Order: sequence, then structure tokens, then C-alpha cells
Amino acid sequence: MKFEGKILLVDDEAHIRKFVGLLLRKHFAPTVLEAGDGLAALAIYEQQQPDLVLLDVNMPHLDGLQTLDRLRKAYPDANVVMLTSLTNRQTVEECLRLGAIDYIRKDTPKDELAAQLQRIIEECFAEDPPPTTASLPP
Amino acid sequence: MMPVLEQPPASTSILKDRKILLVDDDRLNMRILAGILRPEGAIVAEANCGEAALELYPTFLPDLVLLDVMMPGINGYQTCRQLKQQHGDACAPVIFITAKNESDDIVEGLEAGGVDYLPKPFRPKEALARIRIHVQNRILREQQNQLVEQLSHANAAKNRLLGMAAHDLRNPLASIRALSEFLSDGTVGPLTAEQLDLVGTIHEASQSMLTLVNELLDLSVIQSGELKLYREEHSLADLIAKSVGIANLNAAAKGTTLVFAPSPVAKILLDEEKIKQVVANLLSNAVKFSPPGSVIRIGLQAEDAHAVVRVRDQGPGIPAGEHGKLFQDFGRTSVKPTGGEQSTGLGLAICKKLIEAHGGRICADNEPDGGCTFKFSLPLNP
Repeated sequence: MKFEGKILLVDDEAHIRKFVGLLLRKHFAPTVLEAGDGLAALAIYEQQQPDLVLLDVNMPHLDGLQTLDRLRKAYPDANVVMLTSLTNRQTVEECLRLGAIDYIRKDTPKDELAAQLQRIIEECFAEDPPPTTASLPP
Repeated sequence: MMPVLEQPPASTSILKDRKILLVDDDRLNMRILAGILRPEGAIVAEANCGEAALELYPTFLPDLVLLDVMMPGINGYQTCRQLKQQHGDACAPVIFITAKNESDDIVEGLEAGGVDYLPKPFRPKEALARIRIHVQNRILREQQNQLVEQLSHANAAKNRLLGMAAHDLRNPLASIRALSEFLSDGTVGPLTAEQLDLVGTIHEASQSMLTLVNELLDLSVIQSGELKLYREEHSLADLIAKSVGIANLNAAAKGTTLVFAPSPVAKILLDEEKIKQVVANLLSNAVKFSPPGSVIRIGLQAEDAHAVVRVRDQGPGIPAGEHGKLFQDFGRTSVKPTGGEQSTGLGLAICKKLIEAHGGRICADNEPDGGCTFKFSLPLNP
């Protein structure tokens, strides 16, 4: 399945945006929007209505949990996957409680990360496909 | 002619400014003892019965108690027992003053919690020598407690620092590793052979740093007592099968194969991520230390109410005398990886701690016909 929706990537660390952004463009070829903090993410979401948000947890000002909470309250259908650097179980559970679909670890090797994202996207859009060029069986 | 000083001057005495509680109904005894102690710079308080001593103790907080045995009201032994009961381990040492010196009385005094006894009539030098020893012990114990406290603070600070450093290093390292892969896999255009070689070195170096940082972080969590297990029912066979699948991909470069042959074992309560980490570590070690083209055999069985996992490699085994190093922090043996892989010496130490946190055990033994088997067991009903 080739995903061609818009993905919003939110992380305060530029190198993470560069690496994950490259990965998204290579494997999913969507439009990748980037935000360096939670407030910028909310503004971009409002304007662009992306299909999926990859959201860092630890960020200054408005952290990932607060951003997730505000986003899901304003847009209950927002698809958010958390980007974590640690599997802090409590934080993960809190994110899932606040409506995140899943979480991925930033230190996962890139091919594995791509496979995880592929699985998450397939599950998320299985019934309600976003703009996609998935070829139908003959 | 100057008088010869029999005692060291008060300023250098171990008893200077030390608080000593005298408990005796005999005023003459009290005066003799005070007369011995005050020239040493000791601060002396007096109580004429056990009850008065119990009342005075919490406000005076002595470094030593000199306690008469025969007194009106509660006797010395009862007083001592109550002091120990009320003040626990922090209670000052108690020396009994006893007119009797039959061994039974001495034993009773020591059993009541006393550290020594002074027979009456006093021999001042002997009394002073005994008092000094016990005050010195008390000082040493205080210093020891302070040191232990300081060390545990320092250790906690070190663990915090280690955790923070590892945490802050991890993300940039993960980015360096991934970006170097994007360079070498042609995502951003072709590279020359020399450029590829350099990028490969960057990738390897960032990978081994990332492993080290992750292991240091694990260790700091474990050592600071913050390891938390999230146990859920899992099939150990499924968990191992997945890990074997991933390990086979990585082992393919060495021509090594991993074969998993499980027997049926009931689901058990375990922290999936932690046990996966242990299995992945044992599998990667087996590949790392076996010659290229080896076959690694992994077994799973139920034995004596435990699920037992065995990983058998075809490496050189554990060298004689190095068995003790295997599961120690930074405990590398003299055996070298066969494909130039890196080893931090922390992996097995972490495995041991994770397995023990699950109430299980881990060990390793050489096989008579070569190679060695790493075995861990987890209780089926923890």
C-alpha cells in the first residue's frame, strides 16, 4: 500500500526531523510537514489537516502530551502516533489514553522503523482509506 | 620541675566534648567517675536512678551511658533494655557499673544490650581506657553511617547523571546512524567507494555507541532500583520465534543459521520487552562468538515448574577460570567475536538482572563436544 496522505512530523530536534522526514519521504512519499514545537504543530494542523501526525513526547513549551490532548479535543479524528526516545510505560499509557494510535521509538533501526510505520498506517487506514494509490486486485 | 602529665591534654582527648550520662544512686561513685571524665573535656550529665536516666536521655542524647546495676526502682539491666527499645540502633553504648563481677551478671548485662562493664571499686586508668574504646567505636560508627549516606547520595547522583547523559546522547546517535544509512543506501544519490567506506565507519561507530549508551541507561535504571516490570501473559515460544526471525536476518551476513525447536510450554507472566531484550542478547552473542557458517540451536522446555530456554552456540566456549566474569558488569572474557563485532561487556550483566527480577535464573556451561549453552529459566507461576 502506497500511502500518499499528508504527514505532520513534530519534533524539537532538527536532526530527528531530518532523519524521520527522509524516512517518510523515501518509504511513503507523502507530503511531509514539519513543526519544531507543539504550538507550531497545532497551527499547521489547523491549516493543513494532515492525515497522520508523528508527535515527539519531550518538547519545550507545549510537550507532546499537552499537544496531543489539545489536538484530540479540537479534532477528535486526528491520527497521532507518538515518537518516543524511551519506552517509559507510564507516558506511553497516558498517550494511548489521550487517544494516540500507537508509539514508535526513535532509536529503532530505520528499516524496522519503516516497517512499523507501514503496519501502523495500514491498520489505521484499512477501513477508511486516505488518498492512496493502492492498486486494486484485478 | 614540671609535673608529668599522666593524661593527654583535654584538647586532644577523644572524650573532648563527648556527652556521657552517669547513672548511679551512689553520689560518691558519681563524683569519682565525673572526676575522671571532666578533665578529659567530656560533658557529663548525672541521673540518680533508671527512671531519671530514661527521662534525661532524649534531651541530653549522650555518646555513652555508664549505668549502675543495683539501683532503687528499675535496675540497670531493665533501664538498658528500655533504652535500647526506645532508641534502637542509634542508642548510645551502655557500660555497666557493677560491684559484683560474677560471670552470670556480666552475661546478663551483655544480653541486656551492654557493651562492657566496669567493676567497682574503679581503677581510674582502666575505667578511662574502656570508656575511650567505646566512645571511639561510637565515633567510628557515626562516621561510617555518614560515609554510607554520602556514598549513597553520590551513587544516586551518578546514576542520575549517567541516565541523563545516556538519554541525551541517544537521540543524536540514532539520527547519525540512520542518516549514515541513508547516505550509503543511495537514497540521496550515489557515493564513491571511498565515501561509502567512510560512511560505513560512521555507521558502525554510531551503532556501537548507541548500544553502549542503551546498556548504560539500562544499568543505571537497574542500579538505582527503578527497574519496573510490566508483566502480562505471553507465549514464550512466540516471543522467541520472533527474536529468532530477526536474529536470522542479521546472522545471514555470517552465513550462520539459528534453529528454534520449542516444546509446548504454558503462557507465563513476563515483561515482554525485557525478556525480548534478554533473548535478543543471547542470540546475538551466540552469533557473535560462533564461527561463520555455524548453526545456533535454541530450545524451550518446561522443567520443574519453570520454562527453560537454552541457546547453544558453536563458539570456543568459556575459557577456564573466566566463568565468574561472564555475568559481571563490564566483565568481558578473553574470547573475541568472530566477525569483528563489538562487545561492551554489559549485555549479560543486564540479562542476569532482568531474569532475576522475574524470579528466574541464568547460567552458562561449556558443552563436552564444543561450544557452550546459555540457559535461563522463568517460573511458570511467579
